[in-house]
Amino acid sequence: MADTVKVCTGNFGKRAQSIHTYRKLGGYSTVSSKLFDLSQFEVIDAVMRSGLRGRGGAGFPTGMKWSFVPRNTGKPVYIVVNADEGEPGTFKDHFLMKEDPHRLIEGLIIAAWALGARSAYIYVRGEFLPCIETLNKAISEAYGEKLLGENIGGTRFSFDIFVHRGAGAYICGEETALINSLEGSKGQPRLKPPFPAVSGAWASPTCVNNVETIMALPWIFENSPEAYAALGTPKAGGTKVFCVSGDVKKPGVYEARLGIPMMEMLESSEFAGGIDGDLKGVIPGGSSTPVLLPEEAAKATLDYEGLAALKTMFGSGAITPFNTTRDVVQILNTLGNFYSHESCGQCTPCREGVGYAKRVLNAIVNGNGRDGDLELLLSLADQYNGTTICPLAPALGMPVTAFITKYRRDFEEYIAKNPQRSSPRLNSNIRPGAFW
Amino acid sequence: MSAEKNLHIIANNRLRFTEGPKPYAGDLPAPAEQVGHLHESQKQPSWNELAPLLENEQVKLRVADLLSRYPDPQGALLEVLWIAQEVIGWVPREAIRWAASVCSCSPAHALGVATFYTMYKHAPTGRFLLQFCRNMCCSIRGASDIIRYAENALGIKTNGTTPDGLFTLIQVECLGACGNGPVMLVNDDFATDVESGELTLKKGAALTPDRVDRIIAWCRDRASQMKEEPVRDALGGKLSGHLGHPGAPGASARAQVLDYAPPPPVLGVSAQASADGVTLTWKAAPEITALAVERLEDSSWKQIGTLSPKDKEFKDASGKAGMDYRMTASSGDRAAKPSAAVKATEKAG
Repeated sequence: MADTVKVCTGNFGKRAQSIHTYRKLGGYSTVSSKLFDLSQFEVIDAVMRSGLRGRGGAGFPTGMKWSFVPRNTGKPVYIVVNADEGEPGTFKDHFLMKEDPHRLIEGLIIAAWALGARSAYIYVRGEFLPCIETLNKAISEAYGEKLLGENIGGTRFSFDIFVHRGAGAYICGEETALINSLEGSKGQPRLKPPFPAVSGAWASPTCVNNVETIMALPWIFENSPEAYAALGTPKAGGTKVFCVSGDVKKPGVYEARLGIPMMEMLESSEFAGGIDGDLKGVIPGGSSTPVLLPEEAAKATLDYEGLAALKTMFGSGAITPFNTTRDVVQILNTLGNFYSHESCGQCTPCREGVGYAKRVLNAIVNGNGRDGDLELLLSLADQYNGTTICPLAPALGMPVTAFITKYRRDFEEYIAKNPQRSSPRLNSNIRPGAFW
Repeated sequence: MSAEKNLHIIANNRLRFTEGPKPYAGDLPAPAEQVGHLHESQKQPSWNELAPLLENEQVKLRVADLLSRYPDPQGALLEVLWIAQEVIGWVPREAIRWAASVCSCSPAHALGVATFYTMYKHAPTGRFLLQFCRNMCCSIRGASDIIRYAENALGIKTNGTTPDGLFTLIQVECLGACGNGPVMLVNDDFATDVESGELTLKKGAALTPDRVDRIIAWCRDRASQMKEEPVRDALGGKLSGHLGHPGAPGASARAQVLDYAPPPPVLGVSAQASADGVTLTWKAAPEITALAVERLEDSSWKQIGTLSPKDKEFKDASGKAGMDYRMTASSGDRAAKPSAAVKATEKAG
């Protein structure tokens, strides 16, 4: 599809980091022409009609999320941009912010106008210092042109944007953990309710949106919500920025309509340019989404419903195919290490259970697997669901279940190499609690 | 298995396999650990040594700027710790205590925060901190080989520092540049190659042994040219022009006014014609302060009445069925768009 409309990535490679170039490319046209004549209701209504859904992973309709933010409570409203991109496989926000920071600022002005926010925080993960430098420079330019600050565009509307540098915690991508981190605490998720829309940062109404979600707004208002909705599927409007990594010829960030076939994204020369080797499986939406076998990937379409039909998730749009030379047991072991490292330690099923799964996986990879280990892992994965505050432990549970059920033979081969596999596990340092 | 062997494992309580076959996968990557987290014996500088670095005008100005951005001073804690790491190179215990006092929180809270986030260093590292990603996408593309290659090239193990103090090598979780996997950070910059004297992260370019060599050579070259690494703003530069968060110390920002935007258009206008005129009903948002009714006469809209937001209906005595009406709400000095035009109709039956 050569006619793919570029909603978020249109300015890539055009040096849009400077405000003059961004304006020449048509930027800030919504803010300077029509935004300030729209009521807050109309802006939210337009976002609802566009069918825009949150692009961070959960896919919640953005307009609906905004409509939950109460007004006139006497408390300030905050917009927080979630740029704590850390889901393995996802790297779109990194390049979106680096290539087109002004689009994020323009989107934020639209969002702030709709929600009545006075201050917005862009929470960028600590590893993205070059991105933060680009953003801060762009924000300073926007202040210079009076697009930010007091009485923007001659109205009584005032708005400030601050960049907050995180310091390396995957869990801060969860919105309540991110809010805690913004408040200067450990990034441990909060119980919901109250939802952040009602009581978030500093107990005030807070709207947490992904970078890509906010960056879709300028296009929606420049064109029309209906035009945006028409780009996608009936249930989710617009385009999506996909991140393709792993065993493909041209890994990178590609924008495409929602609902395109997965194989087109992987094979087309416009996108990833073909699989490197023979396909063994595809992780369709970031590390926590269940893996797809090649025959499932062949019929998958890239949208929320198409992937849900295959019992996996759309997630953040990160697609990671791997070929037959890769070792699935090692991949799952990597994920076990990752999630146990990133557990915030708040809920017991996650702190102990994820570490338990990791140690069993390590034992299998080390040639110390026992009969029954796979059942043990499946049972553990099942017990994460619904027992923790945030979905970090289930985010390991899902790939564990999918990898073991779909590639069971690979795991059994590992275990079969242990001559003592049938004797019970005496190694007491694998049981829960051994870590401490 | 003998009971003795088993006891040995329990007594050590370490994840070590002394029986069974040799590890199948060779050396697994060591878990990514926070720098210095395991160094209990790290010598901590005293406050007197740190005070000149932290209690100077430049740092004070930056801290004041940060405090003005958050409604609660504790919000700036992460950023203040970043400043400490920027000027000292790592975060010693006394710097954490200083950050706590600046941000009006307890030292225990600040220590908890500083040890929760993995990017705060609790021990000095080499001049170039090489962070290799070892997560899913990078390891699919062979991160463990690259890490082993770098370890051999530098002659150190993961978490080690070269004797000349130039390089520290650590393994970290996903860096958010998976399309370039395997990928690394050299201090704060992504790198998969060197081109014309700069570290680059070009689309699709992944680390290879050659490129690792080039990056290491670039670092060595830089070390021979510059005596020490220039200090880099850990917060990515100052924002010029912001007024801070309303109510924060040092901020001059005012709170958002409520009626900056026009009110929403009037919805659900209906016009009912009867023998004694046309009756209009509508639904209006709570924030409106005035309403105007207009009627279409000779293809132009003419205002026929103004209402207060308390009114529930409007009667146009001269109205007849078939006439067009619309309503316009306003709030303060901002007027909404007119509502959709409606035609007055007779009541059915």
